[in-house]
Amino acid sequence: MKVSTPHMGNAYIPLSALLSNLGAEVIIPPRPTRKSIDMGALHAPEFVCLPFKVNLGDNLHALQMGADTLAMVSGMWACRFGYYGRVQHKILRDIGFEFDSILLGRDGLLPVYNKFRDTVDGNLLRAWAHAIRAFRQKARAMDTLEKMSRNIRPFERARGSTTTALADGLALVHKAFSLREIAEATEESVAMMEAVEMEDDNPKPLRIAVLGEIYAVLEPALNFDIDRKLGEMGIMSYPVMSVYKWLFRPLKIDPSIMVDERMARRIAKPYIAYVLGGEEHQTITGTIRAARKGYDGVIHLYPFTCMPENICRTILPSVEAKYDIPVLNLCLDEHASPTGIATRLEAFVDLLNQRRRKKI
Amino acid sequence: MLEGVGAEVVLSRPTGTDLLEQGVRHCVDDICVPVKLYYGHVLDLVGRCDRLFVSRLVSVEKAENDTYTCPKLIGLPDMIKSSLEGLPPMLEFTVDVQNRSFKSSVKRMGSDLGAPAAKVRKALAAALAVQAQYDSELLHGLPPAEAMKKVLGNGDNGKSKGKTEEKPARGRHDINIALVGHEYLIHDHFISHNLPAKLDRLSANVVYMAQVPADAIERELERYPGISWTYEKELLGSASYFLRRPDIDGVMLVEGFACGPDSIIGEIITREVITDESPPLITLVLDEHTGEAGVATRVEAFVDLIRRASRMKQ
Repeated sequence: MKVSTPHMGNAYIPLSALLSNLGAEVIIPPRPTRKSIDMGALHAPEFVCLPFKVNLGDNLHALQMGADTLAMVSGMWACRFGYYGRVQHKILRDIGFEFDSILLGRDGLLPVYNKFRDTVDGNLLRAWAHAIRAFRQKARAMDTLEKMSRNIRPFERARGSTTTALADGLALVHKAFSLREIAEATEESVAMMEAVEMEDDNPKPLRIAVLGEIYAVLEPALNFDIDRKLGEMGIMSYPVMSVYKWLFRPLKIDPSIMVDERMARRIAKPYIAYVLGGEEHQTITGTIRAARKGYDGVIHLYPFTCMPENICRTILPSVEAKYDIPVLNLCLDEHASPTGIATRLEAFVDLLNQRRRKKI
Repeated sequence: MLEGVGAEVVLSRPTGTDLLEQGVRHCVDDICVPVKLYYGHVLDLVGRCDRLFVSRLVSVEKAENDTYTCPKLIGLPDMIKSSLEGLPPMLEFTVDVQNRSFKSSVKRMGSDLGAPAAKVRKALAAALAVQAQYDSELLHGLPPAEAMKKVLGNGDNGKSKGKTEEKPARGRHDINIALVGHEYLIHDHFISHNLPAKLDRLSANVVYMAQVPADAIERELERYPGISWTYEKELLGSASYFLRRPDIDGVMLVEGFACGPDSIIGEIITREVITDESPPLITLVLDEHTGEAGVATRVEAFVDLIRRASRMKQ
């Protein structure tokens, strides 16, 4: 079984650990590029949201690389994401590809559990237990490294050294197979990150919260690697969401994530009274919290026609005014250009710098 | 219902250029057309009323699975509250059938208006009776405005201005075209450029979604499970119903630009529902820039195509 799943930041690392432990061969499509996004947009409905098009492009790539099974999360929510798997797989079959679908959530858990009966030698339950432990360990390692990179990058001496160390570290973690190897790889990559040379005289960097639609926030191919861009401009960025949180939130095993979700809903309640099915509560709460923590600004990222974030985009100006925090709204679609985004980012940062000078 | 609890009802004017322009100006760029229209209608009422009735439709169907309307209908009052200024206080009507009975939602609204419970109960019973009558008129093929006129005696409180609706006569032409799409698009004669009348002028009978009986939709939906948007389920069910009927010669799928659920359901209809035997289907995407000529051309071409196909069959 050759399984593939679309990209979502660095989620491929824990996900491929999970699948390869279950005896499946994992096909990781190349990171989304302009070309694969265009391919996705060609076959996708006209005004569907951008992540759909990107995911479709990823799936196309994976099938061309020989994948015979596509995995996707699926569900019945108010947001379109729950239908991605169903519609994308139908589109791909209409194009002429033949493959197996794993729709997590739609079929229930048991069929997914049993799907790997043929690929696992020996006890299936034990294989699953091991796979889940490897998954969790790699997800944690990935999260640690990502967080470290955010703290180091604005102060790195040689531009790009953090990014290199992060890529090397993630590659190490990705390569490790047994639990012991993963632990060792994590230690080694953390040491690599710590070895990145930093400037000694730290000026007080700008602090910006990055929030919005989860895929737009976490997928560097979509947001033109905003994390790195901000870091290399010497700015501390604080994404409200992380791949780790995204992976573990639906599993409901990490109490800190559950508490955070509930708090976010409560704080956002005066602005959004009901669940809309997306990250709307994190967006509103993230903005309010950013103001309370004294951040300099907020960057709100969302894909074109995203339903929940469009509602947030409507509401944010009043939050912005009430809590006195500048918000930059960036709408991303397949026509967004890196230059356009870079220009707006630079202008925004200039404004934030001015604002800070005025305050002092 | 509102008149029954002692309120005077002021309606917004029919959609027009100014109204739509106002809506577009106050909205986020990439939000769907219906929300832009709604904003226009809200702004049209400013200064003409004491309370602004805004509904929040969270779920309108009691089912085992979670059902929703759509994120924008759920967040509509929130959006309006946060982005428009100078509005009269809002009268929020929340319908969340999954968690609260419709009756208690109405009661809550009634008490918000300061009406005694007995009055609300009486008004609700009367309102539901009128609604049932209205629904049955729709089922018999009357367009909403006419059905409203028939049931209430005055379609829009007698304040109709702007484009008047041309009545399509039913059953007198040789081909039947079904219109599938949200009613707020098809029956908004400004945004749909009077689509039903256009079809009538081309000698085609118009069949509306409201004419599909509820149990038929239910039956069709068994083939396509796993949809949580109630209104989209209606679209999917009636599209499937029409596409299987021999007396329907063509189906027009009307979508609003940037409508999230439409983008998915449109794709499911065109990919899962259509078979080789299905009548032709055309997708018509409407937005605030859609020109009348564009709609007319496509509608004419579609009708011509159907005529030619039926001639060739004979």
